[in-house]
Amino acid sequence: MSKPIYEIVDELPQNNITIMALRALDFVVPGEWENLVGFENTIREVTGETDEEMIQAIGDRAIWLYNDKSQGYQRALWLYQTVDRTDGALATAALANKVGETIPLFGFLNRITPNPDKAQAIDLCIKLVVEVVAFCQINGLPGDSIGDFVGSLTDNYSKESLMRMAALVCFDGLIPLGPDFLLKVGSILDDLSTSTLEENNTFNRIGEAIPGEDSGSKLGFINDSFASVRGWMSGFVEDRGLDPQVIMSHLHGFIEFSDDKLDYVAGFLDMTTNYYEHTGTQTLARSLIERAIAEI
Amino acid sequence: MLSLRKFIAPVLLAFLLLITSCTQAPSRFEQAQKESTQGTQRNQAVSKEAEEGGSFNKFFPAAGEGYKLVFSQEKKGFAQAKLQQNGKDVAVLTINDIISNSSAKDKFKQSTEKIDGYPVVNQGKTATAVLVADRYQVKVRSTTLTEDERKEWLDKFDLNSLARLK
Repeated sequence: MSKPIYEIVDELPQNNITIMALRALDFVVPGEWENLVGFENTIREVTGETDEEMIQAIGDRAIWLYNDKSQGYQRALWLYQTVDRTDGALATAALANKVGETIPLFGFLNRITPNPDKAQAIDLCIKLVVEVVAFCQINGLPGDSIGDFVGSLTDNYSKESLMRMAALVCFDGLIPLGPDFLLKVGSILDDLSTSTLEENNTFNRIGEAIPGEDSGSKLGFINDSFASVRGWMSGFVEDRGLDPQVIMSHLHGFIEFSDDKLDYVAGFLDMTTNYYEHTGTQTLARSLIERAIAEI
Repeated sequence: MLSLRKFIAPVLLAFLLLITSCTQAPSRFEQAQKESTQGTQRNQAVSKEAEEGGSFNKFFPAAGEGYKLVFSQEKKGFAQAKLQQNGKDVAVLTINDIISNSSAKDKFKQSTEKIDGYPVVNQGKTATAVLVADRYQVKVRSTTLTEDERKEWLDKFDLNSLARLK
């Protein structure tokens, strides 16, 4: 039996490297994200309710909805959980070696493996596809509704969902691939063969959930998703004047590193954070609770 | 001596189990978890007979006058839209088919008021709902709108057409 949703939300951490990294991105989406954890707490925050009977009824209905597999919530959570590549041991070691408020990165260089550009570009695109598919699962749209997703990015994405997209752009785009990451990803995708895609670890974990019968059509879906979201991402970067240096200056608040080690910072964040799982769980809980309060 | 050791180990183990099981208070949501995964209705939160969420969309109020309606969920038996003003969420508007959870109907027994002939109730601090044709629950939820404003928005739904859906 899968773990109850109230336990999953109760066990979301209040502070770890993921939370520190996301807090460092507050300047990108000011005030949008606060680290909302705990099932009851989330019910109170999302609904504004204080009546204990109401809170019980909302929670009960949310649990029923989550446990009905046909409703897609469990699938969405699996996607968010599976796409992150986290090395728990490294995260623990890094936190243990914190000096004051900051983690000195130079102590871990030998344990960090930066992603080569091609693998990083594929990772970014697969995270994007996970967002599209999970969005459709959570909101009840056919799994390949890229158009609805893009529309929603502009109108509907806020709070933890918008923070997740900000982190995708910053931690999986700008820092590892540089200011022209969209061009780079575009040209890597243009040349990508299905056999290279099949060698990618992230694709191997998530591939079955990507719409398409074979790797060729899944690659087509990846291309379509990236092409549709590219414009939104480029506007997001431009509107906020984002570049690797600006982001790095905010990361200096909690990681100590020299500026020629961008690849290592990217690798470190990749290996020690699970921001997709963390904010994805928060997104799912919010959606579930909003539906539950409407239905009781 | 050997027999004593044989005796002590299980006793200690039982004691340990007792202590650990006592330290974790059961969650108030445990019963719902049990019923929804082990009961006769397990894994069925939504009835197969429920209307598709998409069929509700046309009954939502038309936006305008500075308001924008953004549809945000469309699941079987359920549709949700956010009412926004100047890019900020003002209220959450929903329609759901209560064939999936008929206990939602109970609260309307206390209704003393009607909109377009359908019973209205307040629920908690933030929600006002109307029951249409004994089957569809239309709800407006907001932490900023007053009760009267929530009712005004309920009135803007096409409740009579929704009643003819089933």
